[in-house]
Amino acid sequence: MTTTETPLIHMRGIRKVFHTDEVETHALSDVHFDIHEGEYVAISGPSGCGKTTLLSILGLLDTPSAGEYSIAGESVARLAPVDRARVRNQQIGFIFQAFNLIGDLTVFENVELPLTYRDMAASERRDRVQAALEKVGMTHRARHFPAQLSGGQQQRVAVARAVAGEPAILLADEPTGNLDSKNGESVMELLRELHAGGASICMVTHDVRYVAHADREVALFDGKIVAAHEPSPAMR
Amino acid sequence: MRHFTLALRIVRKSPFVSTVAVLSLALGIGANAAIFSLFDQLLLRALPVAAPHELVNLSAPGPKPGSTTCNQQGSCEEIFSYPMYRDLERSQSVLTGLVAHRAFGGSFAVRDEPFTAEGVWVSGSYFPTLGIQPAIGRLLGPADDEVPGAHDVVVISHALWMERYGGAPSAIGERLVVNGVSYTIVGVAPANFEGATIGSRPLAWLPLSMYPNTGTPQPLFESRRRYWLYVFGRLKPGVTLEQASTALNTLYSPILADVEAPLQEGMSDATMQRFVTRRIEVTPGQRGQSNIHREAKTPLLMLFSVTGIVLLIACANVANLLLARGAGRATEMGVRLALGASRRQLVTQLLTEAVVLALLGGVASLFVAHWTLHLIGTLLPPIATESLSLSLQPSVMLFAGLLALGTGVVFGLFPALHSTRADLISAIRAGASQMTGGKAASRFRTTLVTVQVALSMALLVSAGLFIKSLTNVSRVELGADIDQLVTFAISPGRAGYDSTRASAFLARVEEELATIPGVTGVTSALVPLLAGNNWGTDVRVQGFAHGPDIDANARLNRVGPGYLATMGMSLLAGREFTHADVLGATPVALVNETFAAKFGLGRDAVGKFMGIDGDDSLTVQIVGLMKDAKYSDVKDPVPPLFFTPWRQVANTTYLVFYVRSSLPSAQLLAAIPPLMRRLDATIPVEELKTMPQQVRENVFLDRMISILSAAFAVLATLLAGIGLYGVLSYSVTQRTREIGVRVALGANAARVRALILRQVALMVGIGGLLGITVALALGRAAQSLLFGLEGHDPLVFAASVLLLALVAFAAGYAPARRAAAIDPMQALRYD
Ligand SMILES: Nc1ncnc2c1ncn2[C@@H]1O[C@H](COP(=O)(O)OP(=O)(O)O)[C@@H](O)[C@H]1O
Ligand SMILES: [Mg+2]
Repeated sequence: MTTTETPLIHMRGIRKVFHTDEVETHALSDVHFDIHEGEYVAISGPSGCGKTTLLSILGLLDTPSAGEYSIAGESVARLAPVDRARVRNQQIGFIFQAFNLIGDLTVFENVELPLTYRDMAASERRDRVQAALEKVGMTHRARHFPAQLSGGQQQRVAVARAVAGEPAILLADEPTGNLDSKNGESVMELLRELHAGGASICMVTHDVRYVAHADREVALFDGKIVAAHEPSPAMR
Repeated sequence: MRHFTLALRIVRKSPFVSTVAVLSLALGIGANAAIFSLFDQLLLRALPVAAPHELVNLSAPGPKPGSTTCNQQGSCEEIFSYPMYRDLERSQSVLTGLVAHRAFGGSFAVRDEPFTAEGVWVSGSYFPTLGIQPAIGRLLGPADDEVPGAHDVVVISHALWMERYGGAPSAIGERLVVNGVSYTIVGVAPANFEGATIGSRPLAWLPLSMYPNTGTPQPLFESRRRYWLYVFGRLKPGVTLEQASTALNTLYSPILADVEAPLQEGMSDATMQRFVTRRIEVTPGQRGQSNIHREAKTPLLMLFSVTGIVLLIACANVANLLLARGAGRATEMGVRLALGASRRQLVTQLLTEAVVLALLGGVASLFVAHWTLHLIGTLLPPIATESLSLSLQPSVMLFAGLLALGTGVVFGLFPALHSTRADLISAIRAGASQMTGGKAASRFRTTLVTVQVALSMALLVSAGLFIKSLTNVSRVELGADIDQLVTFAISPGRAGYDSTRASAFLARVEEELATIPGVTGVTSALVPLLAGNNWGTDVRVQGFAHGPDIDANARLNRVGPGYLATMGMSLLAGREFTHADVLGATPVALVNETFAAKFGLGRDAVGKFMGIDGDDSLTVQIVGLMKDAKYSDVKDPVPPLFFTPWRQVANTTYLVFYVRSSLPSAQLLAAIPPLMRRLDATIPVEELKTMPQQVRENVFLDRMISILSAAFAVLATLLAGIGLYGVLSYSVTQRTREIGVRVALGANAARVRALILRQVALMVGIGGLLGITVALALGRAAQSLLFGLEGHDPLVFAASVLLLALVAFAAGYAPARRAAAIDPMQALRYD
C-alpha cells in the first residue's frame, strides 16, 4: 500500500471519557491513528477496550473529549450536528454487528435509505442501489423484507447499504459477530472484494482469522493503542 | 382475589398510565352518565303507576276548525273537545278507563300566602285508571267529577304537602286556594308521582268538573269546536293497540259524521272529507303524555352520540395504554408462559387490571357526571330544572357502573390477548426481532389513534356547527331593544278579581311602575314577547278576499299604550296606541309589515279597516304600521301580526308588564316585588326577569347544545391528543434503534422530526378525512337543530381541521424532538 501526503483519516491525541455516576471511564486515551486511502485496517482487542468507542468517533457518531480529527484534510472534530450528519451520510459507510436493517423497508429501500438523505434524483438512486446490490449479489432479493432473509444475506444487504453512497471509508463493527462461521466467511470475502476494488475499510474484530484479511492491525488495550503492525504474512 | 390485589399493585406501579386511563374513562363515562340521566328521565322512564305498559295515548290528527289550545302535554293533533271525550268515555268497551286531563299554570294560596304553580284538571277516571295509592287521605274519583262546579276538592302533591304543610296529616281538610277558588284538600298523591306529563310538576289535581265552564258562543263543556283536553286510557287485559283503535274508531266515526260535521260552517268539500275521515290513533302511553318526548328526542340523541364518541375516544386511549404496558411487560408474560401459566390465567389477570382501571374510572366518572349535570342545570330554563332531577340517581350510577365494566372488558380484551400471544417466548429469546416485532400491535395502536382523530374531527365539526348556529341565533335582528328591559306578569283574575276590578288594577300597576326611580318607560301586553307563546285568529281585512280554505290567520297581541316606544320597536306609519284608545272609543289596530304584505295592504295599511275573530263587519281601524319584530320565538320568522289595545276589551284579567329603566336592571328587579306587595300582597309576581334573560331562555336549547357539544369536543380532542402523544412516544421508544440507524446513516435532526411528524400527518390525514364523512352525516342528522347554516358549512369544517391539526402537531412535537435527540450510538451498541 502506498502512503499519500494527507491521510484519509487523521487522529491525534483522541481521548474519550465517559462520566457515569461519579465514575469516570477513560474509554480512549491519547489515540494517534491514521488510515490512508485504499487501506484496510483491522482494530482488535479484548472486550471493553474501546473498539466501538473508537469506531463511533471515527464515524462521527460520537465526539471525542479531546483531540484532533480530520477526514481527507478537513477537520471534523467540532462540526455542527447538521454538518456531522452530512459528513456521515457522504463520507462514511456503516456496517453493524446486528445488521440493523429496518424491518418495515424492503431490501431495496434499505439500501436506498442513505441516498434519500441527499438531494439525488430517483433514477440515480435506483441505479446506485442496483449497482450496490449487484456488488453484494443480492439483486434478486430487492423486493424482500429483511425478516425474509438469512443473517448472512441481511449482512450483505447492510454492506450494500454502506457502499451505495460511495463513502470515503467503510466502518464495520464486528460484522461477523452475529453470523455463523460460513456466513461470516462469505461476508469477510465480500469486504475483501470491496477492498480489492479500492475501498478504504476500518473493521473492528476480535476474531484472529479475520484480522489477517486486513493490511494492517491496530491492537487496542484499555483505551490505548498497544501495537500497530502489518499482520504476519504467515497468517494471510 | 389474587388477581385483584395484583391488579391494584400494577395500577399503583404505573401511575401515569393509570391516571390517564382513569381520567379518560371518568370523562367518557361521566359525560354519558349525565346525558343518560336526562335521557332516562325524559325519554325512557315509565310513569310510576300500576302496569304502565297498559296505558295508551289517544290522538286524532286532522282538521279541527274552531279553537284549539294545546300545551306542554302534547301537540295540537292530540287534543279533544270535552263532549267528544265524554262520548268516547261513556261508550267505549276496550279500556278499563279513559282519562282526560289538562295542565294549567295558576295562582295558589296556602293560608293566604300566594305563589304560582302548576296544577292539572283531571277527569274522575284519572286516579283509578292510573292505579296509584294516596300517601294519605284519598284521591279523586268519578264521584268528584259529576256536577259542574259542585266538587271543591283537591289532591295535592307530596312536594306541596311537605313544603307547605310540613307533611302533617292535618293538611287533610285544610283549604287550598287555586285561581281564587277555595278547595278542600282530600288527599296527598304518592311521593314519586308527578302527574302524567313528563317535564311538568303539578302541585295539585282538581276535578275537571270544576274547570271554569265559560266561553262564547257556547260554554266549554258543550262546545264540540273547542279542543283542549288530552286523553289517555288503560287497555283491558288482552286487548291490543289495533283492537283498541278499531273499537274506538267505530264509535268515533259516526259521531264525526252525524253530530260534528253538521256543526261546521264554510268548510270546503275537500276539508270536510278530511274532517269526517279523521281517525283516532292509539299509541303506547307508558311514558305519559308530553311534548318533551318529541322535543327532547333529537337534541338528546345528538348529545348522546356526542358523549358516546367521547367514550369511544377514551376507551381507545385506555386500550392504547394497556397495549403499551403489555409490550413493556412482554418479558414478564413470556417468562410466565414459559413457567407454564396458561394463557387463560394471564388473560384473566390482564383483564382484571383493565376492569380495575375501568371501575376506578367509573367511580371518578360520578364526579364528572355530577359536574356535567350541574352545568346542564345552569343552561336550562328554571321551568325545566324544576321538573328534572339533576342529581345522581341510582339508575345513573348503575348505568355508569355497567358502562365501566363493559368498557373494561371490551377494551381490555385485545391488549390482554395481544400481550399474551403465543410467540412471546420466542420473542423474548430473539431480542434481535425488536426492529421488526410487534407490527400487529403497532398497526392496531395506529388504527386506534386514527379512529380517535376521526371521532374528534366529527365532534369538533358538530360543535363548530352548533357554535356557529348559536352565533347566528344571537345575531338575529329582534326588531326590539331588549337591553335595560325588565318583564313580569300578574293575574289579578286568578286572585279573585272580576274583570272590572282587574282592569283597573292593571292600569294602576302601569302607573305605579312609572314612578320607580330611573324608569323611562312602562308598557303591557297580553302575550309575552319571545316566550314561545302564540295567539292566532282568523281576520277579515278590507280588500282581502275571504272564503273557505283561504288562509286568513294572523297572530295577535293586546298591548298597552306606548308599547312600540317602550319595547324599542319602530313605527313606520300612523300612530301607536294612547291612553285615549279605551273601551267605547273607535276600535283600533296596529299591524306589522308581514301582515300588510299578507293581506295586500302594502304601505297603505293605515286607515284601512279589518274584522277580528269571525266578525264579518270591518269595524276595526288600522291606525299604525310597524316594522317587523320577533313575536314568539327568536328563531321563528316574523308572523303576520296585529295588535289591539287591551283597554278596548272588557275581560283583561292578566297582563305582562315591561319596564325600561336607565338604572341597572338588578335595581329594577329588586324594586318590583315590594311595589307589587304594597299594591296587593295576594297577587303573586310571576316570571320576573330581564328581557335578555327571557331571550336566553327562549333559545336555551341552542345554548345548551352548543356549550355542551363544544365542551365535549374539546375534551375529546384533548383525549385524542393524549392518545396520539402516547402512541408516538411509545413508537419512538420502540423505534429507537431504527432511528439510531437512520441517524448513523446521515439523517439529520430535521429529517428525524419529519419522520415522526409524517406519522402524525398520516394519522391526522386519514382520521381527519374519515371524521369529515362522519361529521357530514352528523351535520345532516342535526340539521333541524341548526339555525341559519347548513350541516356542511365550509368555514366550520376548515376551522375544525385547523384546530385538530394544531392539537395533533402539539401532541406530536415532543415525541418528534425526543426522536431527533436519539443517540446514534444506540444502533451500534449491541450487548
Ligand atoms: N455510553 C457509555 N457510557 C459509559 N461508559 C461507556 C459508554 N460506552 C462505552 N463505555 C465504556 O467504555 C469502555 C469501552 O467500551 P467499548 O468501546 O464499547 O468497548 P469494546 O467495543 O471494545 O467492547 C468500556 O469500559 C465501556 O464500559
Ligand atoms: Mg464493541
